Amino acid sequence: MTAEEVVTAPRRQSRRGASFRDAGPPVALIVIFGIFAALSPQFRSIDNVQNIVDAAAVLAVVTCGITFVLMMGSIDLSAAGVMGASALTVSLLVANNRNDNDFGLLGILVAVLLGCAFGCLSGLALVLLKVPSFMATLGVSAIGLGVATLMFAGVQPNISDAMLESWAIERFLGFAYLTWIAAACILVGWLIQRYTRLGRYAYAIGGAEEVLTLSGVRVKPYKIAVFTLAGAFYGLGGVMVTSQLGAGLVQAGDGYDFSAITAAVVGGTLLTGGRGGILHSAVGVLLVMVLTNGLVQVGVSPYWQGGVEGLIVVAAVAAAVIPQRRRNQVVK
Amino acid sequence: MSTPVAVRPATEPATVKSGPRPVERLTGFMPLIALVALVAALTIADPDFLTQRSLTAAARTAAPLIVLAAGATLVVLCGGIDLSIAALASLSTVLLALWLPDLGGLATPVVIVVAAAIGAVQGTAHVLLRIPSFIVTLGGLSILSAVALVVSGAGTVRVVDDSPVKWLDLYVAGYVPMSFAVAVIVVALIAVVLKVTPLQSWISATGYSESAARLAGTPVDLVKIGAFCVSGACAGLAAVMLVSRQFSGGPTMADNLLLPAVAAIVVGGTAITGGHGSVWRSLAGALVVTLLRVGLPIVGVPSAYEQILYGAIIVVAVALTLDRSRVSIIK
Repeated sequence: MTAEEVVTAPRRQSRRGASFRDAGPPVALIVIFGIFAALSPQFRSIDNVQNIVDAAAVLAVVTCGITFVLMMGSIDLSAAGVMGASALTVSLLVANNRNDNDFGLLGILVAVLLGCAFGCLSGLALVLLKVPSFMATLGVSAIGLGVATLMFAGVQPNISDAMLESWAIERFLGFAYLTWIAAACILVGWLIQRYTRLGRYAYAIGGAEEVLTLSGVRVKPYKIAVFTLAGAFYGLGGVMVTSQLGAGLVQAGDGYDFSAITAAVVGGTLLTGGRGGILHSAVGVLLVMVLTNGLVQVGVSPYWQGGVEGLIVVAAVAAAVIPQRRRNQVVK
Repeated sequence: MSTPVAVRPATEPATVKSGPRPVERLTGFMPLIALVALVAALTIADPDFLTQRSLTAAARTAAPLIVLAAGATLVVLCGGIDLSIAALASLSTVLLALWLPDLGGLATPVVIVVAAAIGAVQGTAHVLLRIPSFIVTLGGLSILSAVALVVSGAGTVRVVDDSPVKWLDLYVAGYVPMSFAVAVIVVALIAVVLKVTPLQSWISATGYSESAARLAGTPVDLVKIGAFCVSGACAGLAAVMLVSRQFSGGPTMADNLLLPAVAAIVVGGTAITGGHGSVWRSLAGALVVTLLRVGLPIVGVPSAYEQILYGAIIVVAVALTLDRSRVSIIK
């Protein structure tokens, strides 16, 4: 189905089916929000809505990165490791209690570039060594955590950089700076996805890599570039977590990899690639955040959060596969 | 080490391929070479390493890892992967610690059966819902961790009376730790059962070419569910070993065993694409990983490098053992 869509189907035809499918996640978001708002008076307060959106900031940035990888039909489990490494990097480069560095923005840039480097490493392992992406990124995640542990060196670096600290505290139009950064990331991600060759090819690779290769497109550089781009988003995510915590921790990215996959899948990005996108994922992020926040407000133990995400992923993937059950004979 | 290149498609002699490529030949012995090289290197670095005491300690550390890796190997042989083993083992330690006071000696088999059932549920979800195995087990990892946290109240559950699991701390013939002996017996048991039943060829067929296996009448779905079931049971047994050693259960106790277990499987030379490999290889792989773990501090490398090493090992070993002829597009 996806193959024909990319190659022959004119845009108008695929639109009608797509718009129906695309409506699902936003409708679910509104319904779930309505249910929780009816159940809990605390949930529907303005403060809590601000909370939800602010809490979604880091996840939104990480999900932006992972969405590009998922669009290609690959998967990325490296977010936790990359975020840990970039969190430690930035906290050691801006003003902190461990050394005399005070690079400010430059330090943030270096941390993001480090994220790029890790992403590039995953991409190279996938393209040159032909290691399946979930294995390559699992390895890169471990490497990232190791690098972070090395930099941590037993003493927690607490940041004292005014700018980075202000990101999590200062508010503009009711939302934290971090939230605006996340919004900017979504915009940038959407522009890349919509208007650059990188974004278009990421779609095409997910839809029909063979066809793309046969039509003379050199796929490999784009694959590496997509992983590098994703790494940049994780790097920024690590910086944002550091700003929230006020310290660089190895565990900065714990759980974000899985939450981001959950958000992307719930938003309507298929794991098989070729469908979905940044805006879908943004809706997915809000869905996940509303669900986890709402469940806590209703009185469910926060320990269940991971379990809820796990169930959602399995359910969402299963639901997405149903239309193509007959086609997909082999599932690894 | 038996079964070096277990069941190649029977057409091997007929096709005029110049035998196994040098790389394949090398990867066939990779775990053994690595094992011998590691022992030699460690002995040179620290002559005290080859003493009975440190070897016994290393064997004891290796036991849970061997069991975990051996179980998950079956899933990998079928072409899938089980990322939930460590979380399942953690949950099992909690359950065992909670149930020991009430069930006593029965707690051990009950926990293993429950773990096997959880594995089977994941396998069924994978087969029936047609979800890729790594997503099912990634979801399972998340769910099982949550359950472990809730059941244990996010704290360590102490075991006051550990007599029902004490036997695992004994020594066979005074030297070999019982847990290590049990681990080797489990590996041997799996290997023998595979060998004497059609299971071996069913699993290989499923791993090498699932659609061909289906057409040939192999019960592919049942084989896969069975593999996940055994993987779960092994996670349960590993949990029993951990509890007997630590006198407690914890919701994250075994979580850091996931990477070493995956590393053990791929270092052993079991191809991640399925079909090629064996549980014996994973036994060797688990020993290699354990020696690295024990050996790094001996050589004077900070243990932070351990993670980096696992990451590098996984990527390199997968790259070496991957069967590229069968996958044209690697996602």
